[in-house]
Amino acid sequence: MSLESAPTIRPFVIEKARTRLFGLTLDECIHAFFGGNAFMAVVVLALITVFLFREGADFFGQNRANLRIYREAGLEYVDYMRQQEKDHTALTRYLFDVRMRTVKYLTGVKGLTMAQTNAQLAAFDDFSSRYGDTVEPVRGIVADLTEVATAIKTKFTVNEDAKEGRRQLLAGGKKDEAAAVAITNLDFKAELAPLVGTLPAFKDASATFAKNLEQVVATVPVLPTPELQSRMLKFQQLTRDYIATFPATIHELETWDYTKPVPFTQSLTAFVFGREWLTASFWQDWYGVIPLLVGSLMVSFIALVLAVPLGVGAAIYVNQIASAREQKLIKPAIEFISAIPSVVLGFFGIAVLGQLLRAISQVAWLDWIPGFPFAERLNALTAGCLLALIAVPTIFTLAEDALNNVPRSFKEASFALGASRLQTVLRIIVPASLSGIVSAVLLGLGRVIGETMVVLLCAGNRIAIPDFTAGLAVVTQPVHTMTGIIAQEMGEVVRGSIHYRALFIVGIVLFSLALLINFLAQKIVRKYRISIG
Amino acid sequence: MSLPPNPFAAKPSRARAAEKSVFWVFRLATYLVLACGAFVFGDIVLKGSGTVLHGFKTTEQFPYITNTFLFESPESLYVFEHDGKKVEMGDKEYRAFRESVEAKAKLAGQPAPKFKAESYVYSAGGIWPCIVGTVLLVLGSMTIALTLGVASAIYLNEYASDGKIVRYIRLAILNLAGVPSIVFGLFGFGMFVIFLDWNVSLLAGWFTLAFMVLPVVITASEEALKAVPKGFREGSLALGATKWQTIRSNVLPYALPGILTSSILGIARVAGETAPIMFTAAYVVRDKLPWDVDKFSDFFFQGVMALPYHIYVVSSKIPQNEYTERVQYGTAFVFLGIVALIATTSIVLRNKLRGSYKW
Repeated sequence: MSLESAPTIRPFVIEKARTRLFGLTLDECIHAFFGGNAFMAVVVLALITVFLFREGADFFGQNRANLRIYREAGLEYVDYMRQQEKDHTALTRYLFDVRMRTVKYLTGVKGLTMAQTNAQLAAFDDFSSRYGDTVEPVRGIVADLTEVATAIKTKFTVNEDAKEGRRQLLAGGKKDEAAAVAITNLDFKAELAPLVGTLPAFKDASATFAKNLEQVVATVPVLPTPELQSRMLKFQQLTRDYIATFPATIHELETWDYTKPVPFTQSLTAFVFGREWLTASFWQDWYGVIPLLVGSLMVSFIALVLAVPLGVGAAIYVNQIASAREQKLIKPAIEFISAIPSVVLGFFGIAVLGQLLRAISQVAWLDWIPGFPFAERLNALTAGCLLALIAVPTIFTLAEDALNNVPRSFKEASFALGASRLQTVLRIIVPASLSGIVSAVLLGLGRVIGETMVVLLCAGNRIAIPDFTAGLAVVTQPVHTMTGIIAQEMGEVVRGSIHYRALFIVGIVLFSLALLINFLAQKIVRKYRISIG
Repeated sequence: MSLPPNPFAAKPSRARAAEKSVFWVFRLATYLVLACGAFVFGDIVLKGSGTVLHGFKTTEQFPYITNTFLFESPESLYVFEHDGKKVEMGDKEYRAFRESVEAKAKLAGQPAPKFKAESYVYSAGGIWPCIVGTVLLVLGSMTIALTLGVASAIYLNEYASDGKIVRYIRLAILNLAGVPSIVFGLFGFGMFVIFLDWNVSLLAGWFTLAFMVLPVVITASEEALKAVPKGFREGSLALGATKWQTIRSNVLPYALPGILTSSILGIARVAGETAPIMFTAAYVVRDKLPWDVDKFSDFFFQGVMALPYHIYVVSSKIPQNEYTERVQYGTAFVFLGIVALIATTSIVLRNKLRGSYKW
């Protein structure tokens, strides 16, 4: 056989040309497509951050301007004086509280009629009306100055609007019309002169006020029980402390300077530590997150106090104690509860639970429970109860998973050593899965703190820091929350206004809180996971 | 003949009694949770089903039976006294009635009778536009979420090898799952409504909701893909199939039922959320139905009414009384019914699936 006659052997190659897109083969394209989709999760997270900051970032600049005009228009000056008046009002409230207690004692324990009680309290009422009247001189000055300061602020805002209008006209190329816009530059010094000029008058008023107060509280009315009398004496002391603060107020007023710059950090601290969230007010808007944050935390705390024992208890029961048939029934049922939409739960709270809880609180023999009876149908407790129902399925599912992951050998070893079932569950299984249970609770917290509709509908929506001096009864006060305020006010605000931006900042706080909780939950699982081998 | 006592029976002891009582505490906790859930569910079903049942009416034309509550738009309810009787009427009916009475009076030469009617918004008519809106929102957002989610899961489970990028992706998915829904709402408002200038629209709602359920869909899909045995892939690859061919013909068909059933849970979540659509897609009231548009493209850029938002509106913006209660409970009942149906389907299908696939 000669070489020539041999059939030509072709080398083994794939000749079919591969389709290429941008230099990639089809398979590589598909790979890239899937990869790109997977990357969406990262992109979405980044986009959320970007857009929250994009809309919210301007807040601090605007808030700084807001605080600056508060100072320059003299509102701050007037508020120092007003504080004195407010403190006086707080003291009158204390007095009123003492009267309520006395009436309760006289009608309840002594069994007097209302007319007799009032007769007994005549001296007290005379005292409290004299006490109330002492503030009048200060109140008059504050009322006058309020108008002055508001007028300055209004002038300033009108001016700013005119400036903005001119800027827009100029941008539109209408030079003549822009020139016609009248803008008077405010001379704050001149404007503030009448305000600051009242200082001597205020000093006089304050001195008279102090003198009168001293006179009034020199002799306090006598009350029937030692307990009430001690309250009265405390009131006397409180009033003296209050009078002692007067020189400090005068000092603040004397050293007050409208040119003192507002640093940028103050805009930040005014938000982070601000104790007031007050919008659309005629006087001054405040954007402080504390009342909302405290409200959110309090409602979540109530929810967790209820949900953790129930959720973890149910998980332990289903995983360790229940029969297989019970398991098959309970697990889907709890999953089903988790599917109840939160807005339906919120509606249920308004329509049923609020009234139910109030009715329970007004049952006579439950009087000993702190906070009972309460009058507000919608409050932190109502919202907390419903949130608990939302948190339970989350906690249950994750805790049950954690319990399930404990190896069988742990249980078997425990039984082999003679431990009872209870001992095995409480001393072996639960501790072994503790990291999982803790992270389940944390994720439950994350779920609850981000919940919107229930708190919006049921928490009562009163923007104020709850009164923690009430002890445990604080849970029955209405609150407002971070999620609730966004949902409630976002629809009504003007785009780009400071209020609008403030809501986005609250959103950023929520977002960071959620990420933090998530991070902690993952960390706990990873760090304290017992090695199972 | 009485049996002799069992000598091996456990003797009652303090420890045993304690164990029993502690177990009872756990049992009580479990059943308390179930009872609470049943109470909420039962209350709404009991008070809400009446509204739907009362809505049934016979008609002259084809379907012969219709439901005014389910298939009509919301109207104001007017309550007034006429001929000494208390009458309740919806907005349209009330106007027609008033006109007819006035015309009759005019004909008889009498002065027109005065109507003193109290009106309650949204309390008459039905919730048809809300049902339509919710269905549209769910369909659109689930389409987007499933496309993105399944593709991500395929990448993570089939293509990716453990590396830095994959770790970041997984971290992002985990964190995304914990972001509060109202934050998604804010984000959707900032990005779709304002930045992309889509206004309050279906499209904005779709994307917002899709991004929100993305983690759920990804996790569910990954689990379903993981359940397909390795041998399927190896066999296919050994026969010379490319990676994509393997996935297409040997992995996806077996994983798809699992992906879909688990994703139904995502649907329940999408349908149930209110906060994300509040500023992105939902209108308080809209007269036109979604398909009533001039141009095709307008369809995507219109806001819709949605059931969860409608519940929020009727339970917070109008007072509670016997007239408004009907629509409040009725809407809650219909909504809860839809969500419950979806959830039950998911749970039942999943249990069935677990039994049927055995490799």
